[in-house]
Order: sequence, then structure tokens, then C-alpha cells
Amino acid sequence: MLLNLILKEGPIETTNYMIAGYAVIFGVMAIYLVSMYLRRRNLQRDLEVLEELENKPQ
Amino acid sequence: MQTTPRFLKILDIFSIILFAVAVVLVFFYAELEAIMGQVQRVFYFHVATAWVGMLGFLVAAIAGVVYLLKHERKWDVVGFAAVEISLVFFFITIVSGSIWARPAWGTWWTWDPRLTTATIVELVYAAYLLLRQGIEDPDRRARFGAVYAILGFISVPLTFLSIRLYDRTIHPVVIGNGGGEGDFDMTTRMMQTFMFSLFTFSVLFATLLWHRIRLGNLAEMVESLRLKITQ
Amino acid sequence: MKAERALQASPKASPVGSFLGAVRAIVWKDLAAELRSRELLSSMLVFALLVILIFNFALELDVKARATVTGGVLWVTFAFAGTLGLNRSMATEKDRGCLDGLLLAPVDRSVIYFGKAIGNLVFMFVVEAIVLPIYSILYNVNLFQPGLLLVILLGSVGYVAVGTLLASMAVQTRTRDVLLPILLFPLVIPVLIAAVKASTGILEILPMDQIRPWINLLVVYDIIFTAVAFMLFDYIVEE
Repeated sequence: MLLNLILKEGPIETTNYMIAGYAVIFGVMAIYLVSMYLRRRNLQRDLEVLEELENKPQ
Repeated sequence: MQTTPRFLKILDIFSIILFAVAVVLVFFYAELEAIMGQVQRVFYFHVATAWVGMLGFLVAAIAGVVYLLKHERKWDVVGFAAVEISLVFFFITIVSGSIWARPAWGTWWTWDPRLTTATIVELVYAAYLLLRQGIEDPDRRARFGAVYAILGFISVPLTFLSIRLYDRTIHPVVIGNGGGEGDFDMTTRMMQTFMFSLFTFSVLFATLLWHRIRLGNLAEMVESLRLKITQ
Repeated sequence: MKAERALQASPKASPVGSFLGAVRAIVWKDLAAELRSRELLSSMLVFALLVILIFNFALELDVKARATVTGGVLWVTFAFAGTLGLNRSMATEKDRGCLDGLLLAPVDRSVIYFGKAIGNLVFMFVVEAIVLPIYSILYNVNLFQPGLLLVILLGSVGYVAVGTLLASMAVQTRTRDVLLPILLFPLVIPVLIAAVKASTGILEILPMDQIRPWINLLVVYDIIFTAVAFMLFDYIVEE
């Protein structure tokens, strides 16, 4: 890298790493959002079922 | 409980807009770094996710203290939400840091104090989760979680200091090359992009935390209803 | 339980006096029990010796290299043997129902914390006192230097301060023994790093200004965590 600076050839080609990095950043965030959404949906479903059971005469 | 409060909806939209702008800044406004090229752009969001991680850790510790003082279940929900978000974001920090390190410093892993400390925090979280998993009684689970979050929060700065001190004895001042982070000069536009990213992710943290707390409260509701019915 | 009787019977006039008396009662209870059965010490000791043995084969060092890793080997030994001691010490409380007995006694919770912590510390010291001469002999290095002993003291205090609190938590969970190292090691890393660096510095006779920061770190850690653990202990043993 020091050599680069000396020869003044410009920056090294690292676009692929950048893409990989951002894939991880966006990807994991997206997965987390989806996970929260799915958990909310499942819990709401559970809540409906439980509320029905609660109101049903034993 | 089920309908999203209006302020949260506004926050959602605000977060999305900020995020979009941040992405544009990172890819089009900030200049290309002279030595390591495009991969340097990872830096902006890499540090921002670390920032979110730290915010989460702080919130978890504060929620722990408040829970111990007040014994109100909602603070346990806040603490757990904060830990979960922090765990996810530190994970992103670590992996993106590794991907950045590879072309920039020639190695997948640098035992640099920041990355190492982030990993240790993840281990603290793993321990936190295992601790909670091993306890049936909800009150005890909340109490122990709170205590461990507080202990963790106090020990991590000391851990960071000790690793940095350690690092300095192994790598005394070296001329030029990295082995650490932020080893490039930032132009004004880069600095602006960086600060904007931090701001964006702070807002994002607040939004996610609110959503996650709502999720936690919903879970508590379902659980107590389930208990009530099965009795 | 003898301890409760001792705690109730101590008619010390001043509150500090009764506090110390109560702490002493708890420490004596543990030490006396151990002197009778010697279970805890013997297992910690055997374990420590096994660890030294394993390191001997795992690291295959020549005399020169050994000087650089002695600090590390010692502290890994102490850390793992310490875990054993912490676990056993709290487990017997829980199993024999002594913990409940202690909680019924009319004393401040922190008495229990200090009592247990000091007891654990004494056990660690005993193990260290035996490991040091053995290691010195096996590797022909003098480990009885005052600087090193200070580091071992400071490191053990920090380790036990946090360990006692965490062991009290771990013993109340389903997973018990297994959980303690998982909880303890991430938090105790500053102690391990500082203790190893300071120990190695002393053994390699490095200049004092390179060793002092590590000792300062140990002192800071000890003070902070003893205070924090003692404050949080109340919340662990609520019933």
C-alpha cells in the first residue's frame, strides 16, 4: 500500500469488498426487521386465539 | 396496544428518509478514498452500527438500574429489547469490520481494541441470554438480567482500556500503516457523511427500540393470558 | 445452623463491630466446614496441578520461551481452579439450605456477601500458595517475589469480588455450575489481562513504569467491582 502511494497509481480496486460489506449491513438489518415482523404477527395470532378461549364458556 | 401510535408512524417515515439520504451520501457524496478505494465506504455504516450497539448497551444498563429500583416489569422489557438490538448491530459491526479489514490491512481479523471489545460484548450478551434462559421465575429472570447488564456495562470500558494498553505494548507507534481503524484522513465531505450516518442510526435505534418494546409488551400480554387460561 | 446462632448471639455494641463479627462468623463457618471435609481444597488443588501438567505438554517450551508464558499459565490455572471453588462454595450453601438460614438471620445482606467473598478469597489464596512453590520447582523459576505476590493478591480480589456475586446467581438457575464460567470470564478479562501483563513484567524484570499501569488497572477494577457487587448482592438474594 505504501508502494501505491509512492507510485501514485491511485486507489486499489476494492469494490467487491464494499459490496460484500454493504450486503452484510443491509442484509442483517433486513433479516432483523423481518424477524420482528414475523414475531409480531405470530403473537397477534396467539392473542386472538387466547382471547377466544378466554371468552368461550368453560 | 395493537394500533401503531401516530408518533411512531412519523418516526418510521423519518427513519426511512434519513436512511435513504445517508445511503446517497455514502455512495455519491463522499469522495473515493485515495488508498483503499471503494471499501472505505463501509466505514460510515460500520461505525454507525457500533454506535447503535453502544447506545443499546447503555440503555440496557440504565433499564437494569431502574428495574432494580422500581420493580416494574416494563423496564425489563426495555432492557431485553435494548440487548437484542445491540447484539444484532454489534454483529453487523464485527462482520463489516472484518470485511473492511481484509483489503485494507491484509487480514480478516485484527486484534484491534475496538473489534475485540465488540466481540467480548457479544459474549456478554450470549451470557445474558443463557442466564435468562436458565430461570423460570419472571421476576428473578428480570432481576438477574438487570444485574448482569449493569455488571457488563461497567466492565466493558475497563476491558477496552486494558486491551488498548495491551495493544500499545505489542505495537508501539508504527509509522504509517494501520492495524487499527480510521487510518485515513477524512475530508470535509467524508466527515459530514460520517456525522450524518451517526445521526441517522441514532434515530433508527430509537425507532427500532420502540418497536421492539411494543413487541416485548405484546409477548408479556400473551404470556400472562396464557397463564390465566391454563389455570 | 451454627452461623445463625453466632450472628444472633454476637452482642457487639457498635454497628461496625457487629457487622465485622457477623462477617467473621460466616467466614469461620466456611473454613471450619472445609477443615473438616477438605473436599473443596483437594479438588481445587488437584485441578490446578492437572492444568499445570497439561500446559507442560501442550506448550512444549524451552527455558527462554517459558519466561514469557509463565504469567499466562499461572493465571489460567488460577482462573479455572477459582471457578471450581466458587461453584462448590455456593452450591453447598444452596444444597444444605444454609442460604435460607443465613437470610433469616437479622443481618444486612452485605454481611453474607463479604463473608462468602472472603471465604472464597481464602480458598484461592490457599490454592495459590500451593501452586506457586510447585511451579517454581518444576520450572526452576523463583515465583516468590513481592511484586508478583502483590499482583496475585490484587487479581484474586477482583476475581472473587465478581465471582462471588455471579456464583450466587448461577446457583439459583437451572444450569448452575456450567453457567458460572460463561458469566464470569467476559467480565473478568481486564483482571486477567492486567494480571498476566503485570506478572510477566515482574518476572522479566521490566522497568516499573511499564508495570505500574497494569497494577493501577487492577486496583481500579478491584475497588469498582467490590463496591458494585456488594451493592447488587441484595437484589440477588431476595426471595
